[in-house]
Amino acid sequence: MTALAVTRATLTRVLRDRTALFFMVLLPVAIIVVIGVTVRGFDQFRVGLVPDPRSGPVAQELAADLAKAPGLRTRSYADAADARTALRRAELDAVILMPAGLDESVRAGRSVTVRVLVEPSGSAGHAAVSSVSAVVADHAGRLQAARFATGQSGGTFDGNLALARGAERASSPVAVRAETVNGQSDYLPLGYSYSTPTMLVLFVFINALAGGAAIVQTRRTGVYARALAAPVPARALVAGETIAYLLLALLQSLLIVGIGALAFDVAWGDPLAAGVLVTVWALVGTGAGVLAGALFRTPEQVHAIGPALGIGLGMLGGCMWPLALVPGWLRTAGHAVPQAWAVDAWTTLLSRDGDLSSVARELTVLTAFAVALLTCASLALRHRLTTSPGA
Amino acid sequence: MTDPPGSPDTVRPVLDCARLARRFGERVAVDDVSLRIAPGETYGLLGPNGAGKTTTIRMVCGLLRPDAGTVRVADRPVSTAAGPAKQLIGFVPQDVALYPDLSVRENLRFFGRLYRLPRRRLDRRVDEVLDLIDLTARAGDRVDSLSGGMRRRLNIGAGLVHSPTLLVLDEPTVGVDPQSRHAILESVNRFGEEGMAVLYTTHYMEEAERLCDRVGIIDRGRLVAEGSPRELVRLVAERDRIRLTAAGGLSGYAEACRRLPRVEGLARGGDHGDVVELVVKDARSLLPDLLDLAHEQGVDIRSVEIDEPDLEAVFLHLTGTALRE
Repeated sequence: MTALAVTRATLTRVLRDRTALFFMVLLPVAIIVVIGVTVRGFDQFRVGLVPDPRSGPVAQELAADLAKAPGLRTRSYADAADARTALRRAELDAVILMPAGLDESVRAGRSVTVRVLVEPSGSAGHAAVSSVSAVVADHAGRLQAARFATGQSGGTFDGNLALARGAERASSPVAVRAETVNGQSDYLPLGYSYSTPTMLVLFVFINALAGGAAIVQTRRTGVYARALAAPVPARALVAGETIAYLLLALLQSLLIVGIGALAFDVAWGDPLAAGVLVTVWALVGTGAGVLAGALFRTPEQVHAIGPALGIGLGMLGGCMWPLALVPGWLRTAGHAVPQAWAVDAWTTLLSRDGDLSSVARELTVLTAFAVALLTCASLALRHRLTTSPGA
Repeated sequence: MTDPPGSPDTVRPVLDCARLARRFGERVAVDDVSLRIAPGETYGLLGPNGAGKTTTIRMVCGLLRPDAGTVRVADRPVSTAAGPAKQLIGFVPQDVALYPDLSVRENLRFFGRLYRLPRRRLDRRVDEVLDLIDLTARAGDRVDSLSGGMRRRLNIGAGLVHSPTLLVLDEPTVGVDPQSRHAILESVNRFGEEGMAVLYTTHYMEEAERLCDRVGIIDRGRLVAEGSPRELVRLVAERDRIRLTAAGGLSGYAEACRRLPRVEGLARGGDHGDVVELVVKDARSLLPDLLDLAHEQGVDIRSVEIDEPDLEAVFLHLTGTALRE
C-alpha cells in the first residue's frame, strides 16, 4: 500500500508535466514520421511519366500498367522539361518518356525503346529502372504474343492482343517477390514498419532514463528521508518508484504501438510475442531509469547525460539505421547493448512473421538485461536512501 | 486550559532516549545523550549549529542508527527498520520536504497514506490539518506556488496528518518571516496543550523560553544541562550578562577580559567582531574594571548592556560560547 502511494504520487507528477508528455508522446511520433518517410523511398520509387500526346491504346495500356505496379508511385507530366526539373530536384527517382508513335511501331513490328531518365548520383534511380523494366518487359511479352499469333494464325493484332490478355489472366503467372536482403538472408522492415518499432525502443529507453531525474529531484527534496521516518521500509519506496516508471514505459509503448497501427499501418506481428517484447523492453528501460535516479547527484546531470547516453546506445543498437548496413565488427559490438536485441526481435516479428518461439533468444537476452539492471537499480537506490536519504 | 504535563520521571514517558552516541569517522556528533519527554510536554533541544541536535533527532526518528544507546517511543523500540514505533512519530525536517509539483492536499494525502490511514480517516484528517495550518483556501494549489511561510506550515502539517503521539520538529523556524514564525510557534504551543509530546530543536533561545516546558542544552554532542527554563536560569541566578559593543575589533580585549576573576563565560559576536558578551558575578562592581581595561587597550566602547540572567546566559555560562556562534 505504501509502495502504491509512491507510485501514485510519481504518476501524478509525470502525467501533469507537459514537458514530459512532449518527450513521451509528441517527439517519438514526429521522429517516427520523419524516419518513416525517409526510409520508405527504398520500397516505392517515385516515377514521373511523360506520355505521348498522340498515344493509342497500347501506349495507354503500358501507362496504366506502370501506374498499377506496386513498387512504383507514378505522377504524369504533360511537359518533359517539368519532369526533368523534378528529377533534378530529387522529387523523383526516375522519369519515363513514353516513345512517340508506340502503337504504330508495335503494329508494324518495329522495335521500340522506352527511355528512362535518372540522376547519375541517385542509387534509387537505378533501382527504379529495374522496376520499370520489369513492367515494360511484362507488357512487351503480351505484345509479342499478339504479334506471333497474328503472324502464325491470322486475325487482327488487336484481337490477338485481347486473347493474349485473357490467356495471361487464365494462366498461373510466375511470381517474383522482391526482398531486401543482407548477408544473413534476413530482410528488413521498411518505412514506418522500420521507424515505429525502432523509435519505440529508442524513446522508451530515453524517457525511462530521463525519469531518473525525477527520482534524483525527489531525493533532494527530502521526501524520501521524511518517508523513511514513517513506518515505510526503503524497499517499498524503491518498489513504488519502479512500478511507476514501469507503468509509464508500458503506457508510452502502448501509445506508440497504437499510433503506429492506426496512423502508419504498422502490423506489429504476433500479438503475444509483441506484448512480451514490449513488457520486457519496458522492464529494461525501467531498470536503467531507476539506476540513473540512484547514481546521479543532480537532475541536471541526468538531463545532460541521460538522453545523450540513450541516443548513443540507440545508434549502436540499430535504432537509427539497420545494423545490416554496418560492418560486421560494429554489428557485433552493437549487440553488447540491449537495443540491438530488441530491434532484432521486432525485425523478426514484423518482417518474418515471427512468433514467441522465433524471438525466444532475443527475449532471453533482454530478460537478462532487465534482471541485471533492475537488481543493480534496486540495490543502488536502497543503499542511497538508507545511507544518505536527503542527498 | 489543560493540566500541565507530568514529569517523565513520574509518568510513562513518550520518548525515552538512553545514552545515545554517534560518530562520523573521527568526529563525535552525539555523545551519551539521554532524555525523556512526558505526554503533553514540549522539550526544547537548544544548541548552536553543529552541536548534535539534528543527529539526535535523526536517531530519534529512526533515520540513523546510533553507535550506542536506545530510543523508545511509548515503550516501543525505534530502529532504522519500519517498526511500529514509527507510526507514533511525526517528523518535521528542517528543510521543506514536500513534492513541489503536487498540490497542498495531495501532499498531505501522500504522507497520510504512508502511515496507512484508512480512506475516510485520511480525508477527515487532511481537512483538519488544512484547517489547523490555515491552508484550506489553498488546498488545491501546487506547493511551488505557495509563499515560504505557507510551505513551512504545510511542512509541519505533513507531520501531523497521522495524529502522532510524538512530534519532532527540527528547527522549523529557520529562514521564516516574523509573521509565519509567530504562527508556527502558536501552533506548537497548541500541540503541547492538546497532549502531544513535542521535541523541538532550535538555536533561538527566545523560542525555547517561550515554548518549552523543559530545555536540554546540547553542546559538542553532549547534553550539558537539562531542566525547565526557570531551573536553568537559576543556575546563573547570581550572575549577569554584560554586552559590550565597541567601535572596532575586540580580539585582544576579549582575551584580556577572559582573565578577569569574576568572568565565567565569554563570547564574541557582532557582524564585525565588535561585540563581547560576558557572564559575570556582580556586573555593577565589575563594570569599572572592564571600562578601565578597555581604556588601557585603546578600545572605544560604544555601548554597555547589562541583562538579567536568561537561557542565553545559561548557555554562555555552561559552554563558554554564544548560541549563535
